[in-house]
Amino acid sequence: MIFPSSLESDILAKSYGYDKWLVERFLQYVPNVKCLLEAMNRHPQQYIRINTLKIDSKDLIMKLVSKGYELEDTISHDVFAIKKNASLLPTGATTEYLLGYYYIQDLSSCIAVEELEIAENQTVLDMASAPGGKTSFIAQKMNNTGLIIALEPNLMRIKSISFNLARCGVMNTCIYKMSGQQAIKLNLKFDRVLLDAPCSCEGIISKDSARKTNHKPEDIEFCAMGQTSLIESAVKLVKPGGLLIYSTCSFAPEENENIINSLLGKFNIEIEPIQHGSEGLTSFGSFRFHHDLKKTKRFYPHIHNTLGFYIAKLRVNN
Amino acid sequence: MYRKTTRQELTTLKRAFDRWGIFDYFKDKAVLIREEKNSKIREVYLLPIGLELMVINSQPYYGGLMVGEIKKKFLPSMQGADLIARVSKKFPYIIVNEIAEKLILYGRNVLGQSIIETTEMLNENEVVILLNVKGEPIGIGKTNFAGKSLLQNGKATVTTLVDAGCYLRNEKKGR
Repeated sequence: MIFPSSLESDILAKSYGYDKWLVERFLQYVPNVKCLLEAMNRHPQQYIRINTLKIDSKDLIMKLVSKGYELEDTISHDVFAIKKNASLLPTGATTEYLLGYYYIQDLSSCIAVEELEIAENQTVLDMASAPGGKTSFIAQKMNNTGLIIALEPNLMRIKSISFNLARCGVMNTCIYKMSGQQAIKLNLKFDRVLLDAPCSCEGIISKDSARKTNHKPEDIEFCAMGQTSLIESAVKLVKPGGLLIYSTCSFAPEENENIINSLLGKFNIEIEPIQHGSEGLTSFGSFRFHHDLKKTKRFYPHIHNTLGFYIAKLRVNN
Repeated sequence: MYRKTTRQELTTLKRAFDRWGIFDYFKDKAVLIREEKNSKIREVYLLPIGLELMVINSQPYYGGLMVGEIKKKFLPSMQGADLIARVSKKFPYIIVNEIAEKLILYGRNVLGQSIIETTEMLNENEVVILLNVKGEPIGIGKTNFAGKSLLQNGKATVTTLVDAGCYLRNEKKGR
């Protein structure tokens, strides 16, 4: 959906180097767009997630503090914000990182996994697993029990997943070279399904500023088609009473609320509330969404100090 | 392709696990072999018990945790070394100083003068776990000398076979 440009979007787009159409869309639904654009011009807050398969928080914090790190608690007890790194090495090159003691992962991604309500001995499907951050967090919550199926159609990205899972000491995961739509071939149903869907990645402009101008309206439409297909496959793979978490790193309502809204008439699902984040939208331009979409959550860099993210939590009934 | 161990492979692994002090750890785990066509390498994978049949039937791209490989003997991988260091009460090791730790993580060999401590009576061509000063496993090496000759200055007395830095290097190649 494109909106006519206004003076405000013209000024903001010029000041921050964005295409006007994108800023005009943000003005329709993002609180305080100027603060959003400023936040996306800065390096995002870096977070690490303790890998409890290998070490406990206390020991790791002691090791990192002795190397000149300053860490701050977050809303997830396994995740810490890096406020200062006075060591000579980047966070991704320390011995502790190489030994798999922690994973560099945004807080919003970790919240998606927290909302899956993972327990030991479950069967879990991660439909778009690369590079393996959420998969390894799920494995940690399962204490390496049960079964995780991780899917990825691209061979190079499978290798990334396998490196990360090996580094983190994950034992209970099988990686299959297939897309989420093909998961039905596994002939399995799952207690939990995570679909962190491929998206237009508007929410990670702070990591890749080229997206300010190389992101086009047709990207949103293209991604939404794939997301619809994936989420419909995902719903069919959840056991009755199981949970499906849908997430993206996009702000676009066409990739978020509209995708969830389209399921409500087709499947027997309920949207469950999520503890953190800003309420999901119930309208966008001419779109009107079910009032339950408020229970889905949006994460904004300037409000939540995370990458841009969207999470929906769905209970799949009989 | 994933498959069960042969009787000979199981014997080799049991002997190796006993040598490395991790025999009891594997009692409640399933062990599978992954073998590529036309390759002599047989990778050893660890899984929770109950998953092995599913892996053999469905042949995922990767399944479980790769803890080492069998050629003539069992050679632990980096994750195998990590398990050994955590679980075992007795295993052959070499502790190196901080400078050597950084070099090992770049895949470099170990110079004699950077060795702080070793297990007693290491032979030549013995596979050892390389530990940093905190006792963390940073690699696997093979001794080029025996006993006190390992400590001689100016020579690479231990060849680094695998190091934890491989994850970063392999990931970059994989991209």
